[in-house]
Amino acid sequence: MAMRPEDVLKTIAEARGTAICVPTMTTAPAWRGLAPGDLSVTCTGFMGGASSIGLGLALARPDRRVIVFDGDGSLLMQLGSLATIAGAAPRNLTHLLFKNGVYHTSGAQNIPGGDGVDFVLMAKAAGYRGGFVIDELDELKRRMPAILTEAGPLLVELRTTLAAETPMTARGGVPFPQQVADLRTKLLRPRAAAR
Amino acid sequence: MPESIPSSLVIDELKNTFREARAAHAAEVEEPPQHDHLGWVLSVPDTHQKTVLAALDKEQTIRVLTCSTEDEANAIAAGLWIGGEPVALMIQHAGLYASVNTLRGVAIDGRVPIFYMIGLLQREKDKDPLESRHSMVRYCEPLLDLFGVPHARLEGPDDVHRIGEYYRLSRQRKGPTAVLVGLETI
Repeated sequence: MAMRPEDVLKTIAEARGTAICVPTMTTAPAWRGLAPGDLSVTCTGFMGGASSIGLGLALARPDRRVIVFDGDGSLLMQLGSLATIAGAAPRNLTHLLFKNGVYHTSGAQNIPGGDGVDFVLMAKAAGYRGGFVIDELDELKRRMPAILTEAGPLLVELRTTLAAETPMTARGGVPFPQQVADLRTKLLRPRAAAR
Repeated sequence: MPESIPSSLVIDELKNTFREARAAHAAEVEEPPQHDHLGWVLSVPDTHQKTVLAALDKEQTIRVLTCSTEDEANAIAAGLWIGGEPVALMIQHAGLYASVNTLRGVAIDGRVPIFYMIGLLQREKDKDPLESRHSMVRYCEPLLDLFGVPHARLEGPDDVHRIGEYYRLSRQRKGPTAVLVGLETI
């Protein structure tokens, strides 16, 4: 049974603590309502880049968990990132894959391979330390502590319904360059800002 | 006439550049450093710079991450920069062409300083790159100009200082800059 992405995001928001989050595409509108102005940066304008931004953050900041909210269509655009992430082997990276089988933002066209693409198998074959599927909210809540602490890279395929909003139906939010600057400031604490 | 640049000169310049970047960073932020090494090179292997990549394999103070695509390298660089890490990309011109949307979205629109070292594979020694008979050589500088990316040529050992200069320029302007490696490094 598929989960509502909004319920999944609410569960993550309640559990993530000081983790850095990297939403993209249809997770972005709901996330900015759940976690405004926090330690997040939305991958927008270069579809497929969320996992790589997350990798860079995870390598830069091994003291923090980094959680990527990827999409199935997005990951397919830079599928090689599975191998790059596995090669870098960041223990602090959780790669959540919101799988709905379609390119929701552009009109819900089926992704290549539709629901049959096994991302967990691909991540494990690439060299991720772990991966599994969750399709029920209760199971997600039960396993969330482990998802946020187990040695990564870890890929969790989340079977979800379509989101209530997409970046096309719920425009707005903080522009990407401002998100980048804000997150950098929060993580590094410039001396002038710290005083 | 262009000359090949020894890999040791490139690596020494990168080390000096990263060392300087770390010192400047330490003076600017409260957050203590998370790493002992000087910085990162993100590479999608480039034939033109293969001697540098080979030498970097033995280098302890610079971490090298080989990426599957230049798109990834751009986004990883953004994450590293947000987290306070010095980083340079080593790619070839074909990789630049393959990743222009990410160059635009991350480095230009996102105002993320990304410094590229781009190998001009098949550049002829006796021709200006703009007059090359190979489109992959000929189009590189015009493409960078189209996107407003400041760039300089590394035409020999005397130009190695451009690495530090253009790295710092990328930080100053919060955007992309590039140096073009004219001949294969040695």
